[in-house]
Amino acid sequence: MKKLLNRRFLVLAAVLIAVVVVAGVSAQDSLIRYASNASDEGPRGQDEAMVARWNEQHPDQPIEHSVTDHEAFKQAIRTYLVADPAPDVLTWFAGNRMAFFVDRGLAADLSPLYEREGWYDSYAPGFVALATAGEGQYFVPTSYYWWAMYFRRSIMEANGLTAPATWDELLATCDTLSAAGITPITIGTRAPWTAAAWFDFLNMRINGPEFHINLMLLKESYTDERVVAVFDHWRQLYEHNCFLPDSAAYEWQEALDFMNRGEAAMYLMGDFIRDSVPDEIESDLDFEMFPVINPDMPIGIDAPTDGFFMSAASGNPEGAYDFLAFIGSAEEQQFAADNLGRLPTRMDVDTSGFSEAQQKGIGLVQSADYVAQFYDRDTTPEMAEAGLNAFAEFISDPMNADVTALLESLEADRVRIAAEQAAE
Amino acid sequence: MTTISAAQRGAQRERRRMRINATPYLFLLVPLAVYFIWIVFPMLFSVYLSLTNWDGISPIPAPNALSLDNYNRLFTDRDFGVSFGNNVKWMIVFLTVPTTVGLGLAMIFNTDIRGSRWFKISFYAPLILSFVVIGTIWAWIYEPRAGLLNSVIVGVSQLLASIFPFVTPLERGPGWLADRNLALWSIMGAAVWRQCGYVMILYLAGLKNLDPSLIEAARVDGANGWQLFRRVIFPLLGPITTVVIVVSVIDSLRAFDLVQVMTRGGPGGASNVLANFMYIEAFNNYNFGYGASIAVVLLGLSLFIVVPYLYRTVKTELEY
Repeated sequence: MKKLLNRRFLVLAAVLIAVVVVAGVSAQDSLIRYASNASDEGPRGQDEAMVARWNEQHPDQPIEHSVTDHEAFKQAIRTYLVADPAPDVLTWFAGNRMAFFVDRGLAADLSPLYEREGWYDSYAPGFVALATAGEGQYFVPTSYYWWAMYFRRSIMEANGLTAPATWDELLATCDTLSAAGITPITIGTRAPWTAAAWFDFLNMRINGPEFHINLMLLKESYTDERVVAVFDHWRQLYEHNCFLPDSAAYEWQEALDFMNRGEAAMYLMGDFIRDSVPDEIESDLDFEMFPVINPDMPIGIDAPTDGFFMSAASGNPEGAYDFLAFIGSAEEQQFAADNLGRLPTRMDVDTSGFSEAQQKGIGLVQSADYVAQFYDRDTTPEMAEAGLNAFAEFISDPMNADVTALLESLEADRVRIAAEQAAE
Repeated sequence: MTTISAAQRGAQRERRRMRINATPYLFLLVPLAVYFIWIVFPMLFSVYLSLTNWDGISPIPAPNALSLDNYNRLFTDRDFGVSFGNNVKWMIVFLTVPTTVGLGLAMIFNTDIRGSRWFKISFYAPLILSFVVIGTIWAWIYEPRAGLLNSVIVGVSQLLASIFPFVTPLERGPGWLADRNLALWSIMGAAVWRQCGYVMILYLAGLKNLDPSLIEAARVDGANGWQLFRRVIFPLLGPITTVVIVVSVIDSLRAFDLVQVMTRGGPGGASNVLANFMYIEAFNNYNFGYGASIAVVLLGLSLFIVVPYLYRTVKTELEY
């Protein structure tokens, strides 16, 4: 009797376990894993609100939402993509960062989704082109923002200055401000990508966007005298005491504090600067296009595009499609534009209610002759790391830095990386 | 039961003996398997990877594609040279500063001075903090404008200037972590701060185990304090000193956390160390092959130093 009970118990337990496992698997089937890098306060709020709206509309397809620190995400994503199960939907950047995963077959072709949702017509053609690799589309570009010279209007006015429009004006502005005891331009280079913005804009203004993008594609040499000229100009800025000293001690947000406190006047930054500026300062914050250096050159601007993609190993492709369709919808782009002030990539988003800053930003991008992504999005990850390191080394001691040796080292990296790419 | 033959009984005994002999190995099987899967295999696999150009995502290259390219690149790579040099500096500092200070502290607090327990706890306290916390705290201390260190330096210089007219007050202090020439030493400052307490605890334990009769004998023979320390206590602490030296060497070779948290190797690679260099190459630049070759060099360095120590330990153990 006892034995029988035991056996019955065992069978029951086995059935129970089977039920739980099957239920678990089927529950996981409808689960959509979403890995996000929206760790800063503003983007995080927007990200969470977006997921909340989805969950409200689709209670049968819950989202497993994980947010990773923005910098750490860049490294962690590589392991996410080869994990089992991989996240279904991930945040990422257009340009070379996306191409890296597409080349390795880690991103799913989204052309059926573009077809289904009619995105070929509703997205601006430039952004569809940005999402395209070969025959398919692998990326959903949802928003972009512009880089510009941000400044505190009140500080500039108090010193009788306007935003510098030329190189000489920029140097003169630095002289005036530093004589008044104000740091002309703040910058935090603990994570050195902020320095790359200076390289991008100086290179585009001195040598033109075409040379710049060819350098990013590893087709031009880093020892070219045109690149040397960029560093000569950069050094002049230090000679005129333009920059915050010891910038490597600060994250970009920490460097922003000097501007918030009124101790610094300008900051070359992306529009996400607005997320970290207190409300009472935001009305005092204005921006202008980076000054012109060589008037004969076309105007280039960094306007990076952010978006989403689906991992090729997604365990729930249907759910991923539905979620991406939701993210890329006009309603969601409208929300993102209204909440965060990013610019929409769809042509059917109503821009009439946009803030003055957004309107001005759109104007800035539209007036540019060439739109680049950003140094570490336009070139390969490895070249970007080498470049950022070299920039950091240069600005840690700009007066004595051996630019020739730095550029020779970068050139050696470029030649090797280009050869490796050609071999692949 | 009574029908079991002698032969059967013999076989049974044989089986039992075999079972007894196999038992310890059966128990060892699991830990050994775990050890091979998680320690030995990855180590060998790293050596294999170091001969490839694997990017961490694509399929792992086949054995016919092996080459020594990564090692050739290592020895011409400026970043590798800087990182290697920084590890050497780190090792020299770790072998001198925290060892001396730790021993000194141990000698002081081994006496019955007032509040010695409180001091001991204070010096030991940094060890309970994780490296990330230590790195964050010290990054604040080193903050150039409002950090503790520069506030004190600037404050003192202004105080001196207000007293002595010939002193010009400092406008601002050094950049510490932002200064190419100071960054590595600043990080080491934080590391040494932690290491001193560690060495102190090791030596305190050693001092507690000294045979008091030897010290009394030396006292009776009229040895003064320095002689007592130099000729009796320090030699008796020999085994502890060996441990301290090995620990210092290993800790300086595996330095990573503080560098990653405080400067990430910057500015421009000036404070990079091998472990951080490896991390950036493998996980940031997707160069697993190259990263593995750095790991192999690190492994070689560690073995070079640790193997003689292990050899010595095993030998002395056998003598007992």
